[in-house]
Amino acid sequence: MANFFPRWINFIPLQVAIGLGAVGAGAVAGITYYATPEAQRVGYQPQQPVHYDHNLHVNQLGMDCRYCHSFVEHSGHANVPTANTCWNCHEHIQKGSPKLAGLRDAMGVDVNHREIMDANGNPVEGKPIKWVRVHKAPDYVYFNHSAHLNRGISCQSCHGDVHKMEKVHHAESHSMGWCLDCHREPEKHVRPLEEVYNFDYDAEEYLQKNEVIGLDDKRITDPEEFGKFLVAHWGIQPKESCATCHR
Amino acid sequence: MINHPEAPKDGDIVNAWRSVGEKEGSKSFRNVLDREFPNGDTLTEKEQEISRRSFTKLMGASTALAGIGLAACRRPESYIVPYKKAPEWIIPGKPLFYATSRPTAAGAVPLVVTTFEGRPTKVEPNPDHPDSRGTDAITQASILDLYSPSRSQKILREGNESSLSALVEGLKAVDLSKTAIVFGSDDSPTRNRLAKELAAKGAQIISYEPLTGEGLGKGTHLVHDFSKADKVLSLDCDFLGTDPLGNSREFSKRRMGGASDYKKEIAKDEMNRLYQVETQFSITGGMADHRLRVAPSRVALVAGAIAKKLGVPVTMDEVGEQEKKSLFPGGDGSEFDAWVSECVADLEKSGPKALVVAGTRQNETVQKLALAINEKLGAVGSTVKIAKTDLAQYGSLADLKTAEFETLILLTPADPGYDADKFCEEIFNKAKTTIHWGLRTNLTAWYSTWHIPAAHYLESWSDARSEGGTLSLLQPMIVPLYGGVSELDLLHVLNGGKFGEGEFSPAMGEVKKTFAALTGKSDDAAWQDALRDGFAAGTEYASGSASAGAITVTVPSAPTSENLEVVFGTDASVWDGRYIDNAWLQESPDPVTKLTWDNAAQVSPQTAKDLGIYDRLIEVEPKESFFFSKPFKRANEAHTGVDGKVGEGENAKAPLITVTIGKREVTLPAVVAFGHADHAITLPLGYGQAADDDRASATKLDQSKPVVGDVGLNTGFNVYPLRSAMNPYMAYGAKVTLTGDYYKIALTQEHNSMYGRALAREISTDDVAGKGSFEDQIKKVKKQGIDSHVPPNLSFYDSKGGYWSKTELAKKTNLADEIHQWGMAIDLNTCTGCNACLVACQAENNIPVVGKDQVAMGREMHWIRMDRYFASMEYEYEGGHKKKKEGQKISTPDWVQQNPEMVPQPVGCVQCEMAPCETVCPVNATVHTEEGLNSMAYNRCIGTRYCANNCPYKARRFNFFDYNKRNPLVKGNLYKGPLGEKQVGTAPHLQRNPNVTVRMRGVMEKCTYCVQRLESAKIKQKQQQKQKTLEAGVASTQVKVDRTKDLRIPTGSVNTACQDACPTSAISFGNLLDNDSQIVRAKGNEMDSIKIIQGDQYVPVRGSGRNYDLLNYINTRPRTSYLARVKNPNPEMPDAKFLGQASINIH
Repeated sequence: MANFFPRWINFIPLQVAIGLGAVGAGAVAGITYYATPEAQRVGYQPQQPVHYDHNLHVNQLGMDCRYCHSFVEHSGHANVPTANTCWNCHEHIQKGSPKLAGLRDAMGVDVNHREIMDANGNPVEGKPIKWVRVHKAPDYVYFNHSAHLNRGISCQSCHGDVHKMEKVHHAESHSMGWCLDCHREPEKHVRPLEEVYNFDYDAEEYLQKNEVIGLDDKRITDPEEFGKFLVAHWGIQPKESCATCHR
Repeated sequence: MINHPEAPKDGDIVNAWRSVGEKEGSKSFRNVLDREFPNGDTLTEKEQEISRRSFTKLMGASTALAGIGLAACRRPESYIVPYKKAPEWIIPGKPLFYATSRPTAAGAVPLVVTTFEGRPTKVEPNPDHPDSRGTDAITQASILDLYSPSRSQKILREGNESSLSALVEGLKAVDLSKTAIVFGSDDSPTRNRLAKELAAKGAQIISYEPLTGEGLGKGTHLVHDFSKADKVLSLDCDFLGTDPLGNSREFSKRRMGGASDYKKEIAKDEMNRLYQVETQFSITGGMADHRLRVAPSRVALVAGAIAKKLGVPVTMDEVGEQEKKSLFPGGDGSEFDAWVSECVADLEKSGPKALVVAGTRQNETVQKLALAINEKLGAVGSTVKIAKTDLAQYGSLADLKTAEFETLILLTPADPGYDADKFCEEIFNKAKTTIHWGLRTNLTAWYSTWHIPAAHYLESWSDARSEGGTLSLLQPMIVPLYGGVSELDLLHVLNGGKFGEGEFSPAMGEVKKTFAALTGKSDDAAWQDALRDGFAAGTEYASGSASAGAITVTVPSAPTSENLEVVFGTDASVWDGRYIDNAWLQESPDPVTKLTWDNAAQVSPQTAKDLGIYDRLIEVEPKESFFFSKPFKRANEAHTGVDGKVGEGENAKAPLITVTIGKREVTLPAVVAFGHADHAITLPLGYGQAADDDRASATKLDQSKPVVGDVGLNTGFNVYPLRSAMNPYMAYGAKVTLTGDYYKIALTQEHNSMYGRALAREISTDDVAGKGSFEDQIKKVKKQGIDSHVPPNLSFYDSKGGYWSKTELAKKTNLADEIHQWGMAIDLNTCTGCNACLVACQAENNIPVVGKDQVAMGREMHWIRMDRYFASMEYEYEGGHKKKKEGQKISTPDWVQQNPEMVPQPVGCVQCEMAPCETVCPVNATVHTEEGLNSMAYNRCIGTRYCANNCPYKARRFNFFDYNKRNPLVKGNLYKGPLGEKQVGTAPHLQRNPNVTVRMRGVMEKCTYCVQRLESAKIKQKQQQKQKTLEAGVASTQVKVDRTKDLRIPTGSVNTACQDACPTSAISFGNLLDNDSQIVRAKGNEMDSIKIIQGDQYVPVRGSGRNYDLLNYINTRPRTSYLARVKNPNPEMPDAKFLGQASINIH
């Protein structure tokens, strides 16, 4: 009987195996890269209902973080400002700006800042602003802002250069490994309490301006040494056990 | 793997037991004992069937979804929605606390309520209130009632939805001169004032609750002071449990004999002594030093005999010889005389420092006897004060029989249509219009012309008087969730006022007016201060007077097994029936019977035998033998009931009996209750309000007029029909017949049994033969049971795991935190077993309810389980060994064996330093923290359940289903998988503590010492650094932070939820490294770990000698330890030498 199949058929199983292997390796490589928090979260920059510009308010106008995120030192949550906080200024500034439509809706006023009334002459309830969440810790993570800020960890360490962001994006991965990196080496991030909300802080510059005497009675000039000094001086021992964040 | 030592085969070693099965050593009990998950580790046939089907379904669905789903693989958008205008005081993420009170007929319970962003989530006692006494389980669970979806939500007229405006019209039409108003029995000054004003306009005012007795008459109130009482005689009064009286924390303080702060050992002269005369075991009876079990009518007899002996003029016949013998079976009649005369001698010795309390539901004779005895002893004015209240103005329900009225307004929290049905029909028919106000659409609501939904006490303005009379304020934490109306608002409207607009409540104005009148302060500052504190000081009751007068005691003839006496019991879960829709209470096991989700008749083992109930549960061998007669075979053989229908654990069933009194009868299951009086039967009230199955003695559910929600449906049996309004507490001449049928019950008494000896330890202030004096016994507490035979545990603490560690300490031990090491001590001397901690834990830690069927399978989720042991001496002992006469062991008399002691023991995770669970977890989901907690990372758990299998304390709970997401109370719902009815987003989810993860299916969980509270206390302490810098006024770099001084939380500044709730302060918790703390004084700091951590700084503290570790011999080094219970018997009493020995002779 003649050969029913041509000869090249013999290589098909091999080709299929190599092909599948390549696809599999590709999938594994893809998932390892793209499914990590690093790839999934960093750069996330959703559209917000009101275009709030951190660069303008913080960098150019010099507002402190805590004017709006007012309870960040006291509570686990860094609160997003209530509409009336914005209204404190914007009742008078940028009146009628189309960018502030969402805020006016929340306050229940029209473009001329007159209260909106319904047909019966009763004031209409405003609609609160629905900000899109950028940084989201999973439900089982109990991160506490006050615990970090009051011990010399700046907003900047986790949120990046927010003061320069015209539109907020996710700057760091916020993965558990990333948290642990800092819990294991806090000296790389800790800074004087006065500088926690200062986004332009530079350790070297700080040490030039301020005389900090180390534990060995010598002036500290090296930022790395400064971090180690603060950790020892303030008794910082970040925990790595599960119950620290998971309850 | 831990091999517990085998119990000696001769079987008479274990004289502490939890159930009939354990006492008799049944085979099914052994099966339950040996397996962590009895029948839970393999699926039932039904479960397998359903699981396979739903698995295939799921696989199909997920394959399909995978294709579609991947394309939409995008981060879901979530939102942050801040307030428009920031409400004052609210900081997102931080709790806000308000002082308020929960009104009850026994006096207001002062509370501090935790709220998160306007949601009340937890109640705690208000420690500043003069009558602060902790909380009970019902108070803890009251927060769930607030969110209950089965709460009344609509105004109803003739059963149809109506509106507020229609109601206002309806109320306008009420002619007050032809109106009767029925209130509850609690004392609210503002209500009293408004009621008086309404009465002046011609309204008839009544107060009614079914299980609140009238004592010495309305208007006369007794204030009991346990702090002064050296001797307490309780005449059928469960003052620590269902009949609250006096301050339980004061009682427990005296119970601690001057050692309540553990600065010394218990001094036996300073310790109080409790004599209890009662029918069914109550938790107060469990605390008693001497307990006499008598049929309910015999309480008056004993009280009369005591009064007579004391020289109080009482007209009564001598107690007959037969009677005496029946109270002490197996005795010769002299025991009764000895009991009475020695009790009297002891009371006389204390004189004004003695106290006699009578159960509020006992009849007038007993109330008067108690008063007369107190007067004779000089206790009136000392340990008991007679106070006058404004409640005298209210009539009683019986007055309505003769009264003329057209409108009947029902404001009582009771449900007269259900709990006094026959009587009420008559009254309801008299009224043209009936207006009912209540939290639930109960039977009364559907009977009435109008039903008005009530506001919960956490939604209302009101006031209430605590036990001593202190004016306690109630303030709303939340706007009424379901549009409820508060009682005072309603009275305000009836009195000619108007309902408030929006959030404004006129009730506040009324409360403020009363406040000004009572305190004489009308300024706003005083009002604000009182609101902040929750009370106004100096507003105690005015003193009143009462006299016992001539007392004649007549009692019916003694009961027999054909002629039983019935006690209608207050149920620890549903009270008089009003909490039937509270799932936490329904699922918390009854403190004594350990029954959940149902009620059952309780009979003593002897009566159970007489009635033929006992051998349905277990076959007693030899068949003719008496239960307690010896020799008694108790080998590990099969013992099932005579017809083999009753198993244990999941297969637990109870025989159904019919109780007949005259023409009335009810059918309900019966359970054997150790320590119950013979020839009497206890029937707990409040159940069987609606059923859709074919059970007898429950109202059929009418779907169009539901009286209960998912929770209360098909729970228990209604025994109110046996009860008459004239004799509400007891009934005579009952007959019992077995129906031959069985009813499935969910009993937790054998769940999570630990097999070890001397688990709950006990000693006596009296000398014990062979064990020495009280002081000697204290020294030997640690050596009771198996611990007397094992060599000392060796320390395994070495450099394990510390190689890479940064600090020197961490190189030595993995318990490397040098400022906090947590520990707990539970004092069995004051623990009553009341379940307050269990429910508080449920509220704090988001613990789900699983429903009756799951409880029966042993799957209840309570992190604290309340073990309850009965113990009695079966043989006489001498020198620690059984006394022998002619080679035979000498049995104790029957009256000793049939009247066991009851010792409760709450067990949660004990946080072993060398935890067996941790080593077996394949994914490191349960690991140790540096501070000595055995922590759970729920999101890591994959549900192998190895840890639970390896836990010798059986303290771990597994989520077999998604109890949080799927409603377990809908029949069969859990088995429907993703197709089941969800309960996410329903109101009870608003109660959740935001600081604790809500666990899902397949996750193990357990106690972690309220780690969320520990963490927030530590974080709060860390904020001090900033404060210190600001105060110093220098750069933060110049401020040194000392870990021990600055970062350790202040002594006693963090409490666990169970500790806060405890009404007897039995739980100590704190930092073992802080020698000023109570926990170190209680349990000492002589643990190897503490020695290593403190190094040169170590200062040894011995702690109380009563402290011992549970299952010490397996070397798990638990952080939770127990302190042995102390019995304080009167050495002259006939039963003295048998007491305080629950564990002392166990080898």
